[in-house]
Amino acid sequence: MAVLGPGPARFWSGFTMVLLMLLIVLILTGSSWTRDVLTGHNDTWREPSPATQEDHDPDQHNGTNSANHRKAFPVLAFNYGHVRKPFEISLWILLALLMKLGFHIIPRVSHIVPESCLLIFVGLLVGGVIKAMNEKAPVLDSKLFFLYLLPPIILDAGYFLPIRAFTENMGTILVFAVVGTLWNAFFIGGMMFAVCQIEAAQVSHVDLLSCLLFGSIISAVDPVAVLAVFEEIHINELLHILVFGESLLNDAVTVVLYHLFEEFSHAGTVTARDAFLGVVSFFVVSLGGILAGVIYGILGAFTSRFTSHSRVIEPLFVFLYSYMAYLSAEVFHLSGIMSLIACGVIMRPYVEANISHKSYTTIKYFLKMWSSVSETLIFIFLGVSTVEGPHNWNWIFVIFTLILCLLSRVLGVVGLTFIINKFRIVKLTKKDQFIVAYGGLRGAIAFSLGFLLTDNEMKHMFLTAIITVIFFTVFVQGMTIRPLVELLAVKRKKESKGSINEEIHTQFLDHLLTGIEDICGHYGHHHWKDKLNRFNKTYVKKWLIAGERYNEPQLISFYNKLEMKQALMLVESGSAAKLPAVVSAVSAQNIQHQREAAPQRTIPRLSKTREAEIRKILRANLQNTRQKLRSYSRHDLFMDPCEDDMSEVRFRRQRVEMERRMSHYLTVPAKRQETPSVRKVWFEPEHKVYTYDDSESPGGGAIQLKLRPSDTSLLDESPQSTDRSPAPQSEDQSERQKPSRCLSDPGPNEDEEGSSFFLS
Amino acid sequence: MGSSSSSLSNVPNSQELLQETGFSAAHLLRLYERFQFLDKDNKGHLRSEDFEAVRELSENPIGDRIVEAFFLPGQETVDFPSFVRVLAHFRPKEKNRTREGAQQEPEPANSRNRKQIDGKISRVELLQVLREMLGMPVTEEQLQSIAERAIQEADLDKDDAISFDEFRKSLEKVNIDHKMSIRFLK
Repeated sequence: MAVLGPGPARFWSGFTMVLLMLLIVLILTGSSWTRDVLTGHNDTWREPSPATQEDHDPDQHNGTNSANHRKAFPVLAFNYGHVRKPFEISLWILLALLMKLGFHIIPRVSHIVPESCLLIFVGLLVGGVIKAMNEKAPVLDSKLFFLYLLPPIILDAGYFLPIRAFTENMGTILVFAVVGTLWNAFFIGGMMFAVCQIEAAQVSHVDLLSCLLFGSIISAVDPVAVLAVFEEIHINELLHILVFGESLLNDAVTVVLYHLFEEFSHAGTVTARDAFLGVVSFFVVSLGGILAGVIYGILGAFTSRFTSHSRVIEPLFVFLYSYMAYLSAEVFHLSGIMSLIACGVIMRPYVEANISHKSYTTIKYFLKMWSSVSETLIFIFLGVSTVEGPHNWNWIFVIFTLILCLLSRVLGVVGLTFIINKFRIVKLTKKDQFIVAYGGLRGAIAFSLGFLLTDNEMKHMFLTAIITVIFFTVFVQGMTIRPLVELLAVKRKKESKGSINEEIHTQFLDHLLTGIEDICGHYGHHHWKDKLNRFNKTYVKKWLIAGERYNEPQLISFYNKLEMKQALMLVESGSAAKLPAVVSAVSAQNIQHQREAAPQRTIPRLSKTREAEIRKILRANLQNTRQKLRSYSRHDLFMDPCEDDMSEVRFRRQRVEMERRMSHYLTVPAKRQETPSVRKVWFEPEHKVYTYDDSESPGGGAIQLKLRPSDTSLLDESPQSTDRSPAPQSEDQSERQKPSRCLSDPGPNEDEEGSSFFLS
Repeated sequence: MGSSSSSLSNVPNSQELLQETGFSAAHLLRLYERFQFLDKDNKGHLRSEDFEAVRELSENPIGDRIVEAFFLPGQETVDFPSFVRVLAHFRPKEKNRTREGAQQEPEPANSRNRKQIDGKISRVELLQVLREMLGMPVTEEQLQSIAERAIQEADLDKDDAISFDEFRKSLEKVNIDHKMSIRFLK
């Protein structure tokens, strides 16, 4: 394959992909076919009856297909029923993932068509194949969707929610979510009822409440679809958070409206009392959901305080507590999505202060992995379910639904923005409004809610309409939004390396504005934010963060992470000579773990000129590093240069080399080092004041171990001796042979890696 | 929150101030009332003690700097026009003002960073600001390295200090316009 050029190679690999896919599909359908042969009757795919299994087990045991009583010992037996369910599930997931792979091998397609569309398309194909074989395909069961497929996506979104942007725009988001969804639901429901009265439609049996129910199902903007599409277009943060935040928060409204109308459509009428109860129920659902999330979040944060001895299970706590929050909310018919978001948001700052770097990386990757798989599966199942039916196509109903959806969305956004802009400092422009309106995609949640309706003719008609709307929004709007964004020259996400200056000055401005507000006597935005921070610092952090680290100001941890990331980057670039520069940067804030309540940090003192030289070199080399346009995509796994064992060995080698070069460096101070070719390293985009920097350093502990002994060697003219005895000038340092760490990273257990590495 | 006078005519230089700062009449009135509230002895001007009387300000790590910013160099007192002028910097910007706003906005923030008015933020000054903001559990070395890093990042002409242009450039991603606005003062 390497002989051929890239074009043919890609074609061939694409071809093999397709073949593989077909193979899997065939296996999938073949498995059900085989099962039929074995069990002897047509089952639905999803519910194997245990009785039939047992019946045939003794038969299958013998390995032959007819009952022999005197049999030879079965050398090879075939017992598919035993593993059927997990086997099929795995096959489905495998299919989904292979599809994902396949799309990126064919680059041109994936550039034009968003992934969600392709996946639905694949689902359609698979559904078609299955139908052709006269099998019953697995449908997007609501239980499966709501309990297994949806939570990972929401948790991923909630855990990495950009808090600052979210809270700054909270008012707008809430207005869009609550008022906008209500408007949508009632407008669509009401108008559809009017449409249903048209004689030609033959649907006059649909009553008002059913229409309202339908309206409430279809009115909600779907977070999965929004995420899937918006990610690929890298729009600026404000718009992203507006649409996405709206899609998350409207869950409460959707839940309430859905249950409300569903109850009423059985009862037939609605009284004023019911309407009032509905309003009350809304508050209960949303606030209750948030409360549940907060409780579990605090529990999770509290638990993470004690996990310093079993780091391996730390990620599990995060996942489980969040999932429990979601399930608990669902028990009471509260808003599970809001609960999940609240849990993630609350838990995150404290958990991140407590857990190790490796756990943090694990959490991040697992969340992204699960949410990626979930999303893929959702879209594929959506396609399959479409083919499966049951359908009841009614031209007028469907067309009008589509038109009304678009219309109500546009009207809603424009109208609400007009009102909102009176209260906003940063007004929403026409372009922004357009994107917000255009980005109101419907997705699988609407489908699943529709699926839950009681089975009758009306339901099928509704489902058909829902599917049509989903397809339209995902395909048409999803595909055209990217060129539209470019056409309208909407502001894109800016690349921005995390800068300490920004951090400092943002905090400075916060204080400044709080002060001004106080002078004016005005209890504004900043005042309350400041109060919350203070409360957090004095009471909450003490309970939820392990050790002495709760005292660490945010700026320090931000700075530490920044430095560490750069250290990693420079180390990885392969130039050992640069390490001393990085070393001093890291070492300067190398702090010992404050187990002994030693208030002093022990930091080697470097002379100012030395530091200046080092910094010059550091800066010069940093500026030469190519930094690719960093646009955040949820599915990009950032290339982590340190993720393999090879780098460990390399580090050791480099360290030895570095010490050798140290003396040379000391005698030739300000000479500019050649910059080696630096591998492209992805920087994390999220650098907001309120969130910790997502740094990638699974080997964080290892790095720091490595660097620490060498820092002192800068002043010590005999670098060889640095292995055992740190420089004398820092008294406390020499006491502790164990390496010190930045406070923001508890690192792995010192016993495991510390001494061995240190002494090597 | 106010004294007895509640009409704009009592406010000295009201017309000029309205023109200059762009506040509305209602706002100006409100600010005047606040001014009088802070001015406990009814002197007609504010001194630093009056500012310190604001309780929350004492908790603010950079409270002193903020207060200082109100005082013009060399003066001991703040009269109402100066008070208003300083606060005018924090008005939310309208569209037609963005051009000059972009220039002006970082200025007050910058000026609060600087002790000596020499047009640059030196390392020492940055250190002081950091020290004030970060408080207790931070050591000198940490502060120094952070200050180093900050200067290194922003300092383009390598004179070891941050001039106003460099400052503005380093903060271009932070949308200062949006940040430096207090809705109350619209």
